[in-house]
Amino acid sequence: MADVLAPPPAPAGLAPWIGRLFGSPLNAVLTLLVAWAVWSAAAPLFQWAVLDAVIWPLNPAACRDTTGACWSFVAAKSGQILFGIYPIEERWRPAVVCVGLLGLLAWSLRPSAWRPVLAGVWAGALLITFLLMFGGVAGLSFVATTMWGGLPVTLILTVTAVGGAFPLGVLLALGRRSDLPAIRTLSTLFVECVRALPLLSILFIASIMLPLLLPAWLLPDKFFRAMIALLLFAAAYLAEVIRGGLQAVPPGQVEAAQALGLGFWRTQGRVVLPQALSIVLPSLTNTIIVMIKNTSLVLVVGLFDLISSGKAALADPEWSAPALETYIFIAAIYFGLCFGFGRFAHSLERSRQEPR
Amino acid sequence: MSAQAAVPAPPPRPPRPARALVVQSAAVALAAAAVLLVIVTTLGNLQARGIPIGFEFLGDRAGFKIADTVVPFVPDHSYLRAIGVAIVNTLFLSALVCLAATLIGSALGVARLSTNPLVSGLAAVWVETVRNTPPVLLLIFLYAGWGEAMPVGEAQEILPGVLASIRGVAIPSLTGLGSATPLLLGAAAAVGVYLAAELAARRLARAPGRRFPVRRVALLVLAGLLAGFLIWRGSGLALDLPQAQGDDIVGGARLTPEFATVVFGLAVYTAGFIAEIVRSGIQAVPRGQWEAGRALGLREGTILRRVVAPQTLRVIVPPMTSQYINTIKNSTLAITIGYSEFMTVMGTVINRTNHALEGTLIIVAVYMAINLALAALLNLYNRRVQQRGRGNG
Repeated sequence: MADVLAPPPAPAGLAPWIGRLFGSPLNAVLTLLVAWAVWSAAAPLFQWAVLDAVIWPLNPAACRDTTGACWSFVAAKSGQILFGIYPIEERWRPAVVCVGLLGLLAWSLRPSAWRPVLAGVWAGALLITFLLMFGGVAGLSFVATTMWGGLPVTLILTVTAVGGAFPLGVLLALGRRSDLPAIRTLSTLFVECVRALPLLSILFIASIMLPLLLPAWLLPDKFFRAMIALLLFAAAYLAEVIRGGLQAVPPGQVEAAQALGLGFWRTQGRVVLPQALSIVLPSLTNTIIVMIKNTSLVLVVGLFDLISSGKAALADPEWSAPALETYIFIAAIYFGLCFGFGRFAHSLERSRQEPR
Repeated sequence: MSAQAAVPAPPPRPPRPARALVVQSAAVALAAAAVLLVIVTTLGNLQARGIPIGFEFLGDRAGFKIADTVVPFVPDHSYLRAIGVAIVNTLFLSALVCLAATLIGSALGVARLSTNPLVSGLAAVWVETVRNTPPVLLLIFLYAGWGEAMPVGEAQEILPGVLASIRGVAIPSLTGLGSATPLLLGAAAAVGVYLAAELAARRLARAPGRRFPVRRVALLVLAGLLAGFLIWRGSGLALDLPQAQGDDIVGGARLTPEFATVVFGLAVYTAGFIAEIVRSGIQAVPRGQWEAGRALGLREGTILRRVVAPQTLRVIVPPMTSQYINTIKNSTLAITIGYSEFMTVMGTVINRTNHALEGTLIIVAVYMAINLALAALLNLYNRRVQQRGRGNG
């Protein structure tokens, strides 16, 4: 164990690449095979998406006789795809909401932001979000939820579902680990029932059953029905993630807190939960990404998320309905949101671990 | 572990304080009140709309068509049969997707670990794309793409023996197999022989002395079964190749565009997730295991099968279980492009009969039953996989 030699310096330049690509007969065959497959798929795709594509001008005539992609449709309709049928002159409102929510989401991922004030900031942000979206005050015209659409719907549903589900998930996770059998049974029953059902069936049930289950004065409109369904769904999944974190905290921590005379809530809130949550931070971000993707399912209950707005835009008879281009644009938005969010969380994770 | 065993047992718990009782009673009372409110208003609402409650409607004539079924279904059949047919559709779809995704995903997971940057890069692009876009979008995209990419005129051969046109895909099928019962019995017998041989081989492997080649004998028996079947039905057996006829296809087994899209799309999607599970499973086995195997003089294939694979399985079986259950849940997405799986049919049934309450109960019961059954089955397998390792693990 005396002297450990440093590894030899990695060779520079092209040599290692050639080695990795053609080092062994198997590798060479694989490389050629994959390169051929990629080329035969990518070349026509490139031809379609770039060489033959139409980007300008932004009118239906532009795409009439092209064999390539019609990006001018996407450019011309981007406002409708992003914001649905929200009144055009008021589109700055959902735009502000989107930017604000994304910024706040990124900001609150940092553990240094996890202070009680964060809950207040979110409550304020949500209040402003709904004020901006609904309007009806401060000279803003009123816009009903039936006119909401596109990206703000996706973001508002994600944020409210995850945000509202978070406290519920913490309670359910604590409940499942409780010594009190009644609490434990109720929590377990809820979590397992929700996790057994597909989200689509929960949304479906919420849209057809709530009118039967609830008295008329309690009945929320379509948008909030979907929101409640997403919230309950997210709560069950978050509860399991958080429970995993609770289990990972050594029992000595609880015992130490009890020895110091802390009660149940202070033990959990001050000692156990902070440790549990930072352990499961990667899974939490994963759950948020899953929820961003899941909100796309609200299209089956007739809400105008990105996909439905895209479909609505495609229904314009003046254009040749370039469906693939539209869906690629929407996929790019989802990919940017989810991938960007995941990478951001990952880099935070790394920077948090380095000082230790 | 031994340090903890030395700690004396904790003193008996003190009796629960009265507060615990109060908290629990309050929670139960709250839950009960909510349930009661829901029941009372539901009954009131149903009465106000004049909807009777009960499952008698299940025996009525369904009166609607299901486009694409595994089990035959006509509108004269009952609602009960419609629901059963839809469950079979969901299970068939999910099973196909799980099978395809496991095969593709395993290859993809290995590819991501390849030292060849082209191979691992391509696998990474696949995995990241499906993990970061909603599966519904993938299905809708593929379905729209089908309409644009498929030849408008004549059906074309996309793979040897596989024809595609705007009306669907046709694959070669085997005709002259006769009725399904002897086939199923034969398949069951084959599976039985295989399982018995596996068990016997395990048992014998532990006993000292000369080995009896159980597996080889079992293979011989299976070959005999197959040969017997071929002699019995051989004359009528034929491969039915699909033929293009205008923009339509005759012969072969037909897959509708909807079914083909759902299976392909969900398989591509699920494979991305299985790839990550497989990759982490392989990475979880320390490199020393390979080296130790080589030091013992084992061949690479033997090391993979006997040393690495059992340890990989131990890591990947639990997440694979939840992935399979997820696949059944994801099969509901077929509703967005119009393949008649369970939720689609339940929506139709509820719309036609107005029995929303009963319909919801059926939905919940069916998904619970499928999930619990699958979870129980896979947990059984998991226990076997886990036990194969160190006894105290």
